[in-house]
Amino acid sequence: MIYIYGIIDSNGQIDESVYGLEGSNVYNIPYCDIGAVVSEVNQPIRRVTESVVLEHEAVAEKLMENFTVLPVRLLTVLDKRENVLSMMDDYYGDFKDNMDRLRGKVEFGVKVIWPADKVKSRIINAYRTRNQNVHVSDDSVERKFIRDKLKEHKIDKAFKEKADRCINAIDIFLGKFAEAKKLETLRTENLLLSAVYLVRKDNQNNFKEAFEHIRTARDDLKYLFSGPWPPYHFVIVPRKSQPSGDSGHTVTADKVILQPTPMGADKA
Amino acid sequence: MTMNSVVETDSAEVFVEEMEKLQEALPRRIDANPENVEKGLAKLVLTLVELIRKLLEKQAMRRVEAGSLSDDQIERVGQTLMKLENKMKELKQIFGLKDEELNLNLGPLGDLM
Repeated sequence: MIYIYGIIDSNGQIDESVYGLEGSNVYNIPYCDIGAVVSEVNQPIRRVTESVVLEHEAVAEKLMENFTVLPVRLLTVLDKRENVLSMMDDYYGDFKDNMDRLRGKVEFGVKVIWPADKVKSRIINAYRTRNQNVHVSDDSVERKFIRDKLKEHKIDKAFKEKADRCINAIDIFLGKFAEAKKLETLRTENLLLSAVYLVRKDNQNNFKEAFEHIRTARDDLKYLFSGPWPPYHFVIVPRKSQPSGDSGHTVTADKVILQPTPMGADKA
Repeated sequence: MTMNSVVETDSAEVFVEEMEKLQEALPRRIDANPENVEKGLAKLVLTLVELIRKLLEKQAMRRVEAGSLSDDQIERVGQTLMKLENKMKELKQIFGLKDEELNLNLGPLGDLM
């Protein structure tokens, strides 16, 4: 069985000092001018464990030093070399498009936690102050329900607006040095921002400096900064029907490219 | 880590806690097996009902805020939303589901709610 780590923009042999899962030898299966970096495993690996993540990631990062890498989803195993070639044949054009777009670029992850409780309580206090002179006496249960819901709605809206303003203030600095970005807002009340930025390698230092600037400017926020990673979140492969060739794939090729997973910006 | 990749934070525990909250609340698969298939299905159905209920509620709040509802209409909307909310509470209790469990991770599209 063949475990795939990534697709690279080279059909040549790779450095022999790269080791994969359980210390296995990593090699390149060439197809035209690109290649699939793989190692052999005895059986499909069913569970994502810490060691699988670290070993897979170590290979992707090592490859990133010398090649443009399209990292492949964890646990992607095909049963024989011919199936790897068949998958490469089916997706060659998409792989090349991605490589052209992602050449010389890396991914950084930024997560920001804000003091949601404090923010919300300030909003509630402001709401109370604004409405302290409003007295309602003859309310039915239904009207009281609506009034309470409206209050919740307004507080929630103000909370989200505050979050958006805060995120804009962060993104305005980081976005300047990025070629692309994906931002997720308030995945939990505390997790204000969960973002990944695609940055040119020659712009990495500017990006890091911009992050340092933000970090020192806002000490009420907590930050997690990670990278550079292979561009996990920026690989785009259109979904297709099953690839041609025999049907011996244990993983279909339309699932080969890594989608957002516990890696990259989701790391740690 | 290899190469120059780093993960830097001075609040690792806080981030771990938040990420764990996400993992718990948003399974990527519906956990359906013979023992809990009823609960798994109820979770899926109630998540969708909750989504629709929240959309209705938001729409109603926008209209109340904009002043486009008469007093009678506000009463009726209030009654409907109250009943819906109470029914949802009842159903969640029957199937042992918490509010934070009623969500779905839609992969690259993000979370349903």
